[in-house]
Amino acid sequence: MASSDEILEALADYQIQCNENKRLRRMQRDWSRLLHFVADDTGDIFTMDVVKGEIVSFTGGTQGTPDIIVTTQSENLCDMFWGDLNPTRKYLAGEIRVKASQEDVIRLDAITMIIWPDV
Amino acid sequence: MSANIEETKEQALADFAAFINPMKVRTLKSAGIDIIEGRREGACVWDLTGKRYIDCQTGSGIMNVGRRNREIVEALKEALDHYDIGVFLLCSKPKADLAKKLAEITPGDLKCSLFGVGGGESVDAAIKIARGYTMKKEIIYAEKAYHGHTGFALSAIGRSAYKEPFEPLMPGFRMVPFGDVEAIRKTINDDTAAVLLETIQGEGGINIPPDGYLSEVRRLCDESETLLILDEIQTGFARTGRMFACEHWGVVPDIMTLAKSLGGGIYPISATVFTEEIQDFFIPHPFIHLSTFGGSDLGCLVGLATIDYIQRHRLAEHALEMGKRFQSGFDRFLKDYPELLIEVRQKGLMMGLQYTNESIGPRMTKKLAERGVLAVYTGNDPSICRLMPPLVILPEEVDAVLEALDGAMKELSGEKGIGIDD
Repeated sequence: MASSDEILEALADYQIQCNENKRLRRMQRDWSRLLHFVADDTGDIFTMDVVKGEIVSFTGGTQGTPDIIVTTQSENLCDMFWGDLNPTRKYLAGEIRVKASQEDVIRLDAITMIIWPDV
Repeated sequence: MSANIEETKEQALADFAAFINPMKVRTLKSAGIDIIEGRREGACVWDLTGKRYIDCQTGSGIMNVGRRNREIVEALKEALDHYDIGVFLLCSKPKADLAKKLAEITPGDLKCSLFGVGGGESVDAAIKIARGYTMKKEIIYAEKAYHGHTGFALSAIGRSAYKEPFEPLMPGFRMVPFGDVEAIRKTINDDTAAVLLETIQGEGGINIPPDGYLSEVRRLCDESETLLILDEIQTGFARTGRMFACEHWGVVPDIMTLAKSLGGGIYPISATVFTEEIQDFFIPHPFIHLSTFGGSDLGCLVGLATIDYIQRHRLAEHALEMGKRFQSGFDRFLKDYPELLIEVRQKGLMMGLQYTNESIGPRMTKKLAERGVLAVYTGNDPSICRLMPPLVILPEEVDAVLEALDGAMKELSGEKGIGIDD
């Protein structure tokens, strides 16, 4: 089980990895979404705002109406933001649930592929 | 499996990722369908590693006569002894023969053909003909429709994700809900050139029109001098138990688009078939729509052999019979897995299983692949598992697909995230 602080720390690193990757920013520049990440074992919720491919903010708690809701165990959230798991594999195993279009599910996996190609 | 074969496969996937599309490879790997097609025969395809899959994907209906059908292969070999692609500017006997055959097998007064290479091209041609012939501009198409990714056809796709990056698209396209006569009645106007529909929506989730819908649309088109274009690219060539799906409802379009199984899974070819009256448009414009490789002599001979095979082997009847065999299994699944399977939509061997949410289609794809069945969710609705096996599928292969579905759903029933709200 991961604490809220651990997830926020991972999110902070994820934000840096995403925003500093020029290739990723270029390919995601047509993508603006509000995401909610729900840790179903702890009940913690996090909000991430992506505008034209840039993670402009993330915070604990819910803000706004999400375009995408990702629900999984806190440990999976941490691993995902640290690049330690393949989100699509977990999604196909039912361990990560995503309320979003298939295009957005693939976008989330594409971020992982660009930042951590070996995951 | 030898290390050599495994290396060959991995190298092919690595090269595909490097030189074609890395995200496609990653996604297919995650979904357990990173198959490199090796041997192909009947209803089956073998991965390079030797694993056999019953192919229920078939390129969304390319393989009605089966994978690498020997008779069609022989027809192509024979054609190669005498022909090449041919010069598109000239007339050719294979083109004339195939056009004559299509006039014979398509319903009503459909008579003339314009050939292309793929389905999107045939829809592009249909829309151009409709606009050119009627001198009107608007095209009515359906939500969740799929007609191909080319210029005019893309404008008529009922899913914004395929279109948004390429806007602005063709003007004059108006979308209505599929199966809703009133919506078409309200939308048709003096500038409507055509109503474009798939007879049964494929990518949209195997959506079968309600009885009376197509005939009423036909009537509305007649009243307003609007053309009816039916896209039979996935439904054509015996897939649904009739040579063309529109025959189930006794409706004849003004223009019909054909592709996929016309090429017998061997050679790409498409056709836009229309009435003699519409042919009048081409009399003052005989060279207004040309396709370098469309209706190649080789493709036409393959098309003729494919139609002959479908008729001689009575594949329409076989599709109905095998469809009933599938249906008995589906009826059982609806009772056994109500928490997972909401509805089954089926016409012959065009089948869609409606699951509770959009994650289930991809998850079922993976579980079915593990069980030796290749079946993928529909492009415009991932909550639907599409099954379109070759029409030559054997009874024991139907049973094997049903067994795989049963096992996959049983396993999925124990997992998280299968509810409607997940």
